[in-house]
Amino acid sequence: MDGVSQGIQEPFDLVRLSLNERVFVKLRGDRQLTGVLHAYDGHMNLILSDVEETIMIVEPLDGASDVPSTVKVAKRNMEMLFVRGDGVILVSPPSRT
Amino acid sequence: MLIFSVFKTLTDQTVTVELKNDLSITGVLKSVDQFLNIRLDSIKVLDEARHPHMMAVKNCFIRGSVVRYVQLPAAAVDTQLLEDATRREAANQTKK
Amino acid sequence: MDDDSPPPPPASPPPPPSGPSGAPGSPTDFLKGVVGKKVVVRLTSGVDYRGILSCLDGYMNIALEQTEEHVNGRVTNRYGDAFIRGNNVLYISAAEPL
Repeated sequence: MDGVSQGIQEPFDLVRLSLNERVFVKLRGDRQLTGVLHAYDGHMNLILSDVEETIMIVEPLDGASDVPSTVKVAKRNMEMLFVRGDGVILVSPPSRT
Repeated sequence: MLIFSVFKTLTDQTVTVELKNDLSITGVLKSVDQFLNIRLDSIKVLDEARHPHMMAVKNCFIRGSVVRYVQLPAAAVDTQLLEDATRREAANQTKK
Repeated sequence: MDDDSPPPPPASPPPPPSGPSGAPGSPTDFLKGVVGKKVVVRLTSGVDYRGILSCLDGYMNIALEQTEEHVNGRVTNRYGDAFIRGNNVLYISAAEPL
């Protein structure tokens, strides 16, 4: 194991060490967020500030399109956001590399 | 419990609850319970044209499990306090 | 839509990764053995995460290092560290000899 893993005994430690840091969150429904993490609990309910949400919308292929499926990206910003934990797939701290 | 406490401090504030079915409801947070079920007053539905059946509704109870996000008033949230409380709760969880 | 999100886990703290025993050949024994090793984590969505398994808990919440996200055989993302919420995990597979 290398240096990054030092002091991580359980997965939640990774999240705890990301408090007050900008994190990347992958959610169900082709959504992802980046925001500054301020709170979480055992369900992975989160409270983030300065949030940018990115939604991937796969366009149903209509007759005109030559590409099988085009992905549209919608973005929006929110000042302070509670995220319900059951939608969370992955949380990644800012890379320290 | 921590998040429940946060929501309790936000009662009587205006929040926007986004549901997993994409319905967004803005209203005054009247109460919340341990399941994060939410009661909202003076509600307004975003994009009413798409949800005409909601037009006459003035207040509602939202089951916690159908919530995707809640947009909070940033000014009413003390982020430093939240982080300290989160660390404290995390420490308690591992001790038990 | 987000059809059937499973109920959130109980509010108690995550139990330790292993049961009391961990008999040779048991799932617990396997999980103990792969910590610190390269693994593939497949989610129920079909997405794979390849990385070094830092640790995991009783809900199968997982911490990975040097993680690559693979969708349909293509690398779609890289993360220095990644926390994966256990309910999404289909399996954990060793990606190097144990």
